[in-house]
Amino acid sequence: MENVLSILFCLTLLYLVITSRLKTYVAILRTQGVLLSAIMIFPFMRHLSVHILIIPLMSLIVKAIIIPRFINKIIIDLDVKRIVEPSIQPFNFLLLSVASMSTIFVAAHVLSGYTPIEPIPFASAFSAIVTGIFLIIFRKKLIVHVVGFLILENGIFLFGTSVAAEMPTIVELGAMLDVFVVVFLMGIAINKISSTFAKQDVTVLGKLKD
Amino acid sequence: MNLLLVLTVLPILSIGVCYFVHIRKAQYIISLLVAIVHLVCSYIVFSGIYIPAENDFFRFDALSRLFLLILSHVYFWVVLVSYSYLNRPLVVKEEKSKKLYFTMLNVYLFANTLALISNHLGVFWVASETTTLSVAPLIYYYRDEESLEAMWKYLFLVSVGIAFAFIGFLFLVLSAGGTVLEGQQLLVTSFTRYATLLNPIWLKASFIFVFVGLSTKIGIAPMHPGDIDATSNAPSPAAALMSGSLRGTALLGVLRVYQIMVPTVTADFARTIMIIGGIFSLFVAFVFMFKVTNYKRMIAYSSVEHLGLITLGIGTGGIAFVGAMLHTVFNSLTKVVLFLNAGNIHRAYRSREVDSVWNVLQAMPWTGWFFLFGFFAIIAMPPFGIFFSELMIFQGLLTKPFLLAAVLFFLFFIFVGMSKTVFRMLYTAPPAEQTPIITEKFEITHFASLTLLVLLIALGLSMPSQLYTLVVQISKDFGILL
Repeated sequence: MENVLSILFCLTLLYLVITSRLKTYVAILRTQGVLLSAIMIFPFMRHLSVHILIIPLMSLIVKAIIIPRFINKIIIDLDVKRIVEPSIQPFNFLLLSVASMSTIFVAAHVLSGYTPIEPIPFASAFSAIVTGIFLIIFRKKLIVHVVGFLILENGIFLFGTSVAAEMPTIVELGAMLDVFVVVFLMGIAINKISSTFAKQDVTVLGKLKD
Repeated sequence: MNLLLVLTVLPILSIGVCYFVHIRKAQYIISLLVAIVHLVCSYIVFSGIYIPAENDFFRFDALSRLFLLILSHVYFWVVLVSYSYLNRPLVVKEEKSKKLYFTMLNVYLFANTLALISNHLGVFWVASETTTLSVAPLIYYYRDEESLEAMWKYLFLVSVGIAFAFIGFLFLVLSAGGTVLEGQQLLVTSFTRYATLLNPIWLKASFIFVFVGLSTKIGIAPMHPGDIDATSNAPSPAAALMSGSLRGTALLGVLRVYQIMVPTVTADFARTIMIIGGIFSLFVAFVFMFKVTNYKRMIAYSSVEHLGLITLGIGTGGIAFVGAMLHTVFNSLTKVVLFLNAGNIHRAYRSREVDSVWNVLQAMPWTGWFFLFGFFAIIAMPPFGIFFSELMIFQGLLTKPFLLAAVLFFLFFIFVGMSKTVFRMLYTAPPAEQTPIITEKFEITHFASLTLLVLLIALGLSMPSQLYTLVVQISKDFGILL
């Protein structure tokens, strides 16, 4: 079941690559939030307890509800143009992503022979990390950069579950809070940028250099 | 009394007070009191008079104790000068920033303390991300286009960097697969104890990710640009904090992972990576020292240089490691002097460009002289402390003569480039229109600079035995026998 959800997670990444509508980005973030929470609950289906449910529930609230809402609000408030102008052909971007994803999957398969990792969640997580970085590199809009960062964080989250990293509840909650505050501050910054500069592109941020 | 509680709970209380009380003087007094208590506690822990017991999450080993003292020392001076800094009329827009200023300083203190004494890498990660969040509003203090850009870049770059560091920590979990550590918490102590059992390939991957990720915060090239923008556009006290202690906090994260790797076969790999990072940082500082036209950026590049030197020293090992640890102390104190006086110059000339600053020594004698001495201290002029620590790093590098030659070459030209800029600011005669003669009084920033410079000379000339034994203890923890 975990593998199925991870594959679904990977498919959302491919959709992310070809779409150019901001609304879809937010929808994908929401879907990923739900998928991640589901992946976290599954191993504990047999013996559920309140204690185990805290983290998945929190991640559901933060990743699937609060953060997508916040990003939606920024898009509406700032009246960001709903279509993203890419700096790379969508088809080439898809090709690049598929190529890197397949490399990651093959590498994960090979690695799973040596070390105790679960290849599919592991590879999905790394695909998300790479896609997040691609999104930051190949898109110009700052709000899409924030989405890219969140995709990267989702990937790390999935990675954490796939290696079964033992983190105390308080640390996991702290990490989630940190990510939320980062996104919140970035939102404020984008707000300020849009009131200071004409565009919300990276192109306006070129003043500081030597 | 439990010192651990004092060190962590006090800043939290102070955050609350500063957030709800809007009288700036009250905020200042509370923050200063907390800073003093924190300094006293750190000193008690540092000197080994009383060391709180270790538990799973927190520990006070030699490394933490040294970095904790650096943090509270830098923090104390920064808070001390902050009130007079906030009262300076510069731009109207910053009034809003002033409300949050002390709150954010306290968040900074809390998060850094937590990061420095954490034994759990997850706790370290959360705390160091919080330090980024606490400085972001401080960078945006002036609320102009440049500071907005700097804040965005810093926040984004460092957040992505820290995310990478987290991947590195997860690799550490993977490396424990099949050993007694499998399924255990990410504690530095237990990982160090069973280090030899860990899978070397994942350990190497972990180090690369942690080093590259935290480099954004330490300011190791090529991940330094966000750091440079942030330190040069932040108000001077915040810049002093970032250069003086925040970079050290991030360095501690790298050191923790390195500490785990020391007893294993991967130690050489980590050392090589650190040497490459260090030498590349020196190279970048060397190139940009001739290009910068902004004196605060110049000091920021000097931070890249010195953190590069420290990483190089750690990578070299032996006596160079001891030198690197001492260098961390001296560099932090010197950066406070430089940034505070650069802030004074910025206030008087209303520009950070070297070209619009002239004749500082005559117009503002106190600031000018302290800036000059700060410059002497940072370029390792004896008898300032940095001279001795750099000498130790060079001594360690003697076994690698080519590397030493490269380091000396870079340092010499950094010195040339930096002195060109500094002397131009201090001595150039004013242009046709006369400079407004500024009559400068002896201020609290000058008092801080004077004390720190005297301290730097004193530490250089006669090293306190406590500092020395602590540094030797750290070296022992890292498997270096002197």
